[in-house]
Amino acid sequence: MSMGEAHRRITDYLNRFSDAVSSQDVASLKQLLSFSSNSPSLLSLADSLNVFQDANRLIKQSDNYSPFADITVPLFRSLQHYRTGNLVDAYLAFEKSANAFIQEFRNWESAWALEALYVIAYEIRVLAERADRELASNGKSPEKLKAAGSFLMKVFGVLALGTVHLCRSVIRSIETARIFDFEEFPKRDKVTYMYYTGRLEVFNENFPAADQKLSYALINCNPRSEANIRSVSAVLIVMILKYLIPVKLSIGILPKDWLLEKYNLVEYSNIVQALRRGDLRLLRHALEEHEDQFLRSGVYLVLEKLELQVYQRLFKKIYIIQKQKDPSKAHQMKLDVIVKALKWLEMDMDVDEVECIVAILIHKNLVKGYFAHKSKVVVLSKQDPFPKLNGKPVNS
Amino acid sequence: MERRHHSQSHSQRQQGRNHFSSSSSNQSRSNNRFSFPKSSSSSSSANDVRDRRRETQEEKQEEAIVGTCPFMCPEAERLQRQRLRDLAVFERLHGDPRNSSPALAVKKFCRTMSAKEVRASDVRPLPVLEETLNYLLSLLDSTEHPFEVIHDFVFDRTRSVRQDLIMQNIVNDKAINMFEKIVKFHVISHHKLRSSCSSSSISPLHYLNLEQLTKALTSLYNLYEANWSSKPIHEKEAEFRSFYVLLHLDSNGQPVGESLSLWFRHVPSPIIKSKEMWFARQALRYFQMGNYRRFLSTVAAEASYLQYCIIEPYIDEVRSLALCCIHNCYYKLHPYPLGHLSKVLMMEESDVELFCNAYGLQTCIDELGNKLLPTKQTTFCRPKGGLQNYSFLGFQQLGRQIEL
Repeated sequence: MSMGEAHRRITDYLNRFSDAVSSQDVASLKQLLSFSSNSPSLLSLADSLNVFQDANRLIKQSDNYSPFADITVPLFRSLQHYRTGNLVDAYLAFEKSANAFIQEFRNWESAWALEALYVIAYEIRVLAERADRELASNGKSPEKLKAAGSFLMKVFGVLALGTVHLCRSVIRSIETARIFDFEEFPKRDKVTYMYYTGRLEVFNENFPAADQKLSYALINCNPRSEANIRSVSAVLIVMILKYLIPVKLSIGILPKDWLLEKYNLVEYSNIVQALRRGDLRLLRHALEEHEDQFLRSGVYLVLEKLELQVYQRLFKKIYIIQKQKDPSKAHQMKLDVIVKALKWLEMDMDVDEVECIVAILIHKNLVKGYFAHKSKVVVLSKQDPFPKLNGKPVNS
Repeated sequence: MERRHHSQSHSQRQQGRNHFSSSSSNQSRSNNRFSFPKSSSSSSSANDVRDRRRETQEEKQEEAIVGTCPFMCPEAERLQRQRLRDLAVFERLHGDPRNSSPALAVKKFCRTMSAKEVRASDVRPLPVLEETLNYLLSLLDSTEHPFEVIHDFVFDRTRSVRQDLIMQNIVNDKAINMFEKIVKFHVISHHKLRSSCSSSSISPLHYLNLEQLTKALTSLYNLYEANWSSKPIHEKEAEFRSFYVLLHLDSNGQPVGESLSLWFRHVPSPIIKSKEMWFARQALRYFQMGNYRRFLSTVAAEASYLQYCIIEPYIDEVRSLALCCIHNCYYKLHPYPLGHLSKVLMMEESDVELFCNAYGLQTCIDELGNKLLPTKQTTFCRPKGGLQNYSFLGFQQLGRQIEL
């Protein structure tokens, strides 16, 4: 191969790369990154790089190519090592390029390059495996696959953070893409992954899935080892709890007071109190007081929905009081009594609205019974009139 | 082809990029243990989004075309369509399908080709676009044609206006004004097209209109954000932001775009505290809770006309829920007075009877001649076809708000 030919092939690749990015052509971009495909064009590019040794200068001096230097320079290096069979060096360079790619990916406005990211994730894993084989055969410890795992977790972090608009099917396709086996990776990366995806489930109000993922993160971030509130583990626990608590509240599980005190989660104390006491006024007040914080963290809408559970608790309290006064009549609750209780809580609601709430509670199975419209009495079932949620969110 | 001169120097722009990438490399340095974000505080994430969008905006400015077409329709296109008899009813000179004029022809929407292949003479500059839009919207008052026909034409031609604005990267106040008018058109069409279709399946026109409504709304939000540094809040921004919430009341339906929880994170504080957004949030709260009483009465009392147009499909859903609740949860031996039901559903009493019938329910009359709905009838079922349009008490107040 002549110098001119090599130069031409290199600029050809770089042109295709920058064209693919500017026209958001993911199909072309994918092909440029897929080392393991052993495509003739990539192999001949590798050969060209060995002939024309000054590709770096070429990249950095051109206005067209220099914006992507952080990606292409290590990519070229990786390709050269790959061609000559130095898999460990090929892996290291590819990882550098992949990290730079993620930074660019975050700058782009949409997830147009998602499939290219998949290809990179796949390639990095393949390279890592082969690098580990090389290390093992030289008597060294094979740790590149673990490093690849950390990179992959970063990818999920970027995606799950919500800085990119993605629909659920995309996340699902990542999870089932079988790029890696989740169990193989270090615990701290699993915790990271579960935190991000668990949080996403909270935003999409999939509470059972959110519960499962965030609980996993909590259990596995080593709660026993933290000595004081300022340690890294403790900080993580607080971050996880900020999302896990609203989820648990939505399925009817209340955190103990000591938990809130220990991790200084003051914003939730009044809400938990309101749920325990059936105090609607307190719930509204708590939501108002921390409105900004809840809106920014994305849990406001989840917490707002707890209102129905607070109503249920209030009714239950009234029932208990009535039962103490006169057990034989307890299962009949006059609407007037409820209206009075609400007035006492400074809740401004007319009789029609209270009637509506009663009907909704019965409809959603938070109250078992029926409503006698003429006599304005709620007739409660004699057995279990206020069923617990039992780990399921209030049905819509 | 003219190119717009970019005011900021190249080195200034480089600086902007470097500033951003250094902050992200900070994050990667702290990545060794856990890759958690530094902080999830409000200002940093919202500002990051704005900064990033503004940067790409500046880059787009460098490549934007400047249109030179002086007519509502480029002459070449008009002549070609005249030849091919491809003229809409509104474009025909004296009804002649082969003849138009610069005062009548309006540029059609066509899916483009990259910006590089577009000629400046085919693109209309801002003043022409403003005139074009005003002309198109004036057609909506016409009584000569059925609404679907007018809508179809204005739908397509405003899409082309949007395209010309975006291609030229016009992002100033005037662009905001135009996008607001276009969104308003789509919102009112959303209401009118619904009234005119009687089948249960949503008509294609209605669906496509909703699709463009969402797209135009998203572009509008981008414009608000692009103008954030020069003018933080626009007069109508709160109302137009509230539309997003009202379009997504049913979050358990299809996950369209961003979930509301995620969306709220990036809404500026003054907007959240606005009257229009407060209404939307209350509507959301009542809807999600199932509080049909408050939902319907709040909509009647506080919705603007445009907000009503968007929320209208949910009104039937809520009424359906109300009927369900009353029917299933009320005592069998106490039939429910229709007069009262009319108040709860915010529907004329005559419509209430039809509404009940649509659900397979029969009404009866008591000794005094009052109409009643017996509950727990075994014939209760979901209506198979669509529901007809029912009255909405409180709509009269809204009617007074219409100004186009």
